[in-house]
Amino acid sequence: MTLDWLFAGIALLVALGWYLSYSAARLDRLHARVEGTLAALDAQLVRRAEATLELVHSGALDAASSLMLASAASESLAMSEFAEADIESQLFSQDRESVESDLTEALTQVLGEETLAHLDSQGADDPDAMDVLARVRATCLRVQLARRFHNGAVTDVRMVRRKWTVRMFRLAGHAAMPQTVEFRDALPNGWA
Amino acid sequence: MRVGIVCPYSFDIPGGVQYHVRDLAEILIARGHQISVLAPADDDTPLPPYVVSAGRAIPVRYNGSVARLNFGPITNARVNGWLDRGRFDLIHIHEPITPSIGSLALWAAECPIVATFHTSNLRSRAMQVSYPFFRPSLEKILGRIAVSEDARRTVTTHFGGEPVVIPNGVYVDRFADAPVNPDWQGTPERPTVAFLGRMAEPRKGMPVLAAALPTIRRELPGIRVLVAGPGDPDEVRSQVGPEDAGALEFLGAVSDADKASLLRSVDVYIAPNTGGESFGIILIEAMAASAAVLASDIPAFVRVLDGGKAGVTFRNEDPADLAAQLVALLRDRVTRDEVAARGRRRADIFDWGVVADQITMVYETVLEGAAMARVPVTGPQRVIGRLRRAARGEQGEGG
Repeated sequence: MTLDWLFAGIALLVALGWYLSYSAARLDRLHARVEGTLAALDAQLVRRAEATLELVHSGALDAASSLMLASAASESLAMSEFAEADIESQLFSQDRESVESDLTEALTQVLGEETLAHLDSQGADDPDAMDVLARVRATCLRVQLARRFHNGAVTDVRMVRRKWTVRMFRLAGHAAMPQTVEFRDALPNGWA
Repeated sequence: MRVGIVCPYSFDIPGGVQYHVRDLAEILIARGHQISVLAPADDDTPLPPYVVSAGRAIPVRYNGSVARLNFGPITNARVNGWLDRGRFDLIHIHEPITPSIGSLALWAAECPIVATFHTSNLRSRAMQVSYPFFRPSLEKILGRIAVSEDARRTVTTHFGGEPVVIPNGVYVDRFADAPVNPDWQGTPERPTVAFLGRMAEPRKGMPVLAAALPTIRRELPGIRVLVAGPGDPDEVRSQVGPEDAGALEFLGAVSDADKASLLRSVDVYIAPNTGGESFGIILIEAMAASAAVLASDIPAFVRVLDGGKAGVTFRNEDPADLAAQLVALLRDRVTRDEVAARGRRRADIFDWGVVADQITMVYETVLEGAAMARVPVTGPQRVIGRLRRAARGEQGEGG
């Protein structure tokens, strides 16, 4: 009788141990995924800022527009120096979020529908500028995708970390609680 | 890129998901990617070279209708074999929540996964019951795509997160360049209108059109309504008086080429659907063919028509409004041409070239995120997965 209870207890412990180790591995994978998507988002933001600077240097825009874009893009590039710390803490600082919103804003202001139509009409004379413009558009789209997929990963990990087993047995260890990244990433109207 | 695409529905049966998968596979192959599609099929069905059969699908009652699905250990083995042989960089699962090869592939795959959600009517009770069991495998989906706004809302409600909306694609050129058939072309006295789809299915809206016909004929006695699609013509004729029935011409089920020619030739394409549509690809095909579109104002159609700018809408299930809008459109050549021209421009954003660019961008973004993670994010999840790898003599990687 007592032996039965003993075996039942051992079986229960083994099951619990397996479940905890499985949950810990699952959580580790989810955290790794968040780090990956955040690093990818950072890389994408750098590419967007670089493409914007290329557009500035292409000479397709007027001086005032160029200056506005150049300043917004270089702010963004400066922020990515802290990317490693951001990835460590599994979130972007509010400063970075607002700098990226500012770049989105600057692109929206400068690349209004009229300007885009004007650039399009001159496209034949300046194929290089059109190339750069297409690159800026592609990087803007990729920023949207990278942010969505990162926030999807964050949602998944937060859902698991809410479970009582995870909290009670501290399965997340010292890993920071990831936060969704929020900034404006809409395309300029003429491109939407 | 080596991409494996999983389609849960059989290629021998027509359907939106199958067409989407076929078109996507073909354009990606044309762009130099290596694509393998896993789909159910009868063993004797001829398949395109890029399709691998997952075995015969079995009709089962699921989600309120009869679906043909694959399940069981033999199917599971086939899915695993396909994954092992394919050595894919990424797999793209369509409708991952159906109890079929989609969920089996989701369960077994060890590479990054992208999933596309087509449906907007998931049963929430079934979801809630199977959710705890399913959740861990859903976490393997690194990129979620919804084909429509309705599908996006469904995904957000049931799984959280924000999927990217990438619409269904249309090969615009196939419709824009389709030959005009003089038999189907309208004249000022005898304008032509096209209706496509199963006429016996009430939600396709044939009863609304039939109810509007007497009014339309009073204003335009010469109108010809060309009805293409499977169904019994007599059933439709019995819904209208014998005189009005003379305006109906039944073409039966038409080939893809004839469908394109029909849309290219008629004055107006009419979509009186009363609901149950989450997208409306046929509207885009009509716009691509430069037909003026008149559609019911159900949300999916209003969105495809850019809020009613790229086509004309009438109040859903209102035959009087349908008749009034149709007569106005057929009498005013200038407006009709403008509507058709706006529709033609609108169709371009749904062209497969554009849609495939977006899907490729999703693949690249997902692969970059997975490559930057310190451990494989969709690596072997379970003991069985690890044993399977060990049995194949592979080294486990990380976590």
